[in-house]
Amino acid sequence: MPLLAIDTISKNYDGVLALNRVSLTVRARTIKGLIGPNGAGKTTLFHLISGLESPSSGTISFRGMAITGKAPHEIAALGVGRTFQTIQTWGTMTVVENILAGMHTRVPGNFLSCGFWLPWIHKGEKGALKEAKGILEFLGLLGRWKWPALQLSFGQQKMLELGRALAMRPKLLLLDEPAAGLTPAEVKKLSEKVCQLRGQGMAVLVVEHHLGMVMDVADDIAVLHNGELIADDTPEAVKKDPRVIEAYLTVAGG
Amino acid sequence: MYLGALVLLPVIWPGSLFLMGLAGIYAIVALGLSLFLGYAGQISLGHAAFFGIGAYTTAILTTRYGVPSVGAFGASAVAATALAYIIGKPILKLKGYFLALATLGFGEIFLVIVREARGLTGGVSGIFGVPWFSAAGFTFDTSFKQYYLVWGVLIGLVLFAKNLVRSKMGRALLAVAASEDAAASVGINVARVKLGVFVISAAFAGLAGSLFASVMSTASPDAFGLGLSVLIVMMVIIGGMGTLYGPIFAAIFLTWLTDVLGAYQEYSLPLFGVVFILLLIFFPDGVGTRLNARLIYLISYWGRKQRRERVNT
Repeated sequence: MPLLAIDTISKNYDGVLALNRVSLTVRARTIKGLIGPNGAGKTTLFHLISGLESPSSGTISFRGMAITGKAPHEIAALGVGRTFQTIQTWGTMTVVENILAGMHTRVPGNFLSCGFWLPWIHKGEKGALKEAKGILEFLGLLGRWKWPALQLSFGQQKMLELGRALAMRPKLLLLDEPAAGLTPAEVKKLSEKVCQLRGQGMAVLVVEHHLGMVMDVADDIAVLHNGELIADDTPEAVKKDPRVIEAYLTVAGG
Repeated sequence: MYLGALVLLPVIWPGSLFLMGLAGIYAIVALGLSLFLGYAGQISLGHAAFFGIGAYTTAILTTRYGVPSVGAFGASAVAATALAYIIGKPILKLKGYFLALATLGFGEIFLVIVREARGLTGGVSGIFGVPWFSAAGFTFDTSFKQYYLVWGVLIGLVLFAKNLVRSKMGRALLAVAASEDAAASVGINVARVKLGVFVISAAFAGLAGSLFASVMSTASPDAFGLGLSVLIVMMVIIGGMGTLYGPIFAAIFLTWLTDVLGAYQEYSLPLFGVVFILLLIFFPDGVGTRLNARLIYLISYWGRKQRRERVNT
């Protein structure tokens, strides 16, 4: 059984068909790349998986459970972490607070028990802080843990957003253009981290324009074009697929 | 240091006690709204209604039903909580200006109901003769005692709020304020967090209203209008969004300012406006932001100045 199964899903925006009967799966412990020219429907697909929007038709199931129609926070709590195409770190909070907030569902407490600072709250906070520092170390941001997130560089904020998603301990990680705007060195580092995550048992679905990165890390690549799935195969096969070449040539002009 | 100043104030300056008690009551409301407005980034122009329901709950329970004031104090918080839950559930889906308008409307509706339900609330004239707050045979019947009562409650609530903002819930509040989509993406239930903080800030206002009724020994609709709602919002903004102590300082300052300017009669409002604008120009992110750093700077500036003068002479 695949970890994530998308079954003949369509999304209609007031007559504009953004996705047309797309089906694809993500297996556990694999990295799946999702590529396609601008406007192909990649980000729409992400919004549908993470629950920010609901599909016009079709179903999405995660670990065998239908998640279509669930609220974003419910889907996140099931183990789907994500990053955003435009950075959505919480700039007013410090770096470590961003990570800690990512652990929201795993740290105990509600408004009352937190307000009275009951013993288990203290314990939970201490454990969370230790774990958060571990995540920052993994991403190479530990030296800046007390900085306001706003003061990090663009690349560091992207890393921080990845860290925040990791803090949920997701089983499936959705990365929306993680390499966009990064320097080649940063892209290389990011690829390494993503591969390490697969080693830790995570599945990753990555939308990316940076074809080199996707080709390097992905086990399979799915290609969207004008809202339709035109290929879903290994990187080598996708590279040679005439329809993919045509789609990229006609839209990107080479 | 601040705590010491608070405890010693009655000894140093007994004349300030009544106003400081009132400031403390407003500070409680401002502290609660700071969680909702300053941390969670949601606007409410109807907090006077929660203040009012606290005051009326206390006034009605103590004068009509002879409920002891401690019980009425608790009941006020419960009443404000229940009202906030019922109101918050539908209107917190709104954002920005729409939320401001909805809460504004709610505050006005509350006032109309209070004025019209004469049998229960005494209509426009209100309820008189609310007994002093008393607990375990000790009655808070002078400004001196009431000062300690109000500021004691305030300190308790500050501790509660401090714990809240340093915990996961505090982070959730800031996260919701900064990006709701991102907050939901890590599993934070945005609607529930908003409702929770709305209810807590309403409970703070309810407790403050209860204290207001027993300190002033009256509850009348004039005290809970839009003017108060706006004043509380100003306290949070002047005090600094996302700080807890700032709004308390601003509450003290604005209460004093209102009182001092009251002497100028019809000029008081324009003067108030001028002071408000000056504050926003010179402290755009609130007086409470980096408050300690500012105080240290002031003190050290004073020290440097003295040294300079000594060198010059």
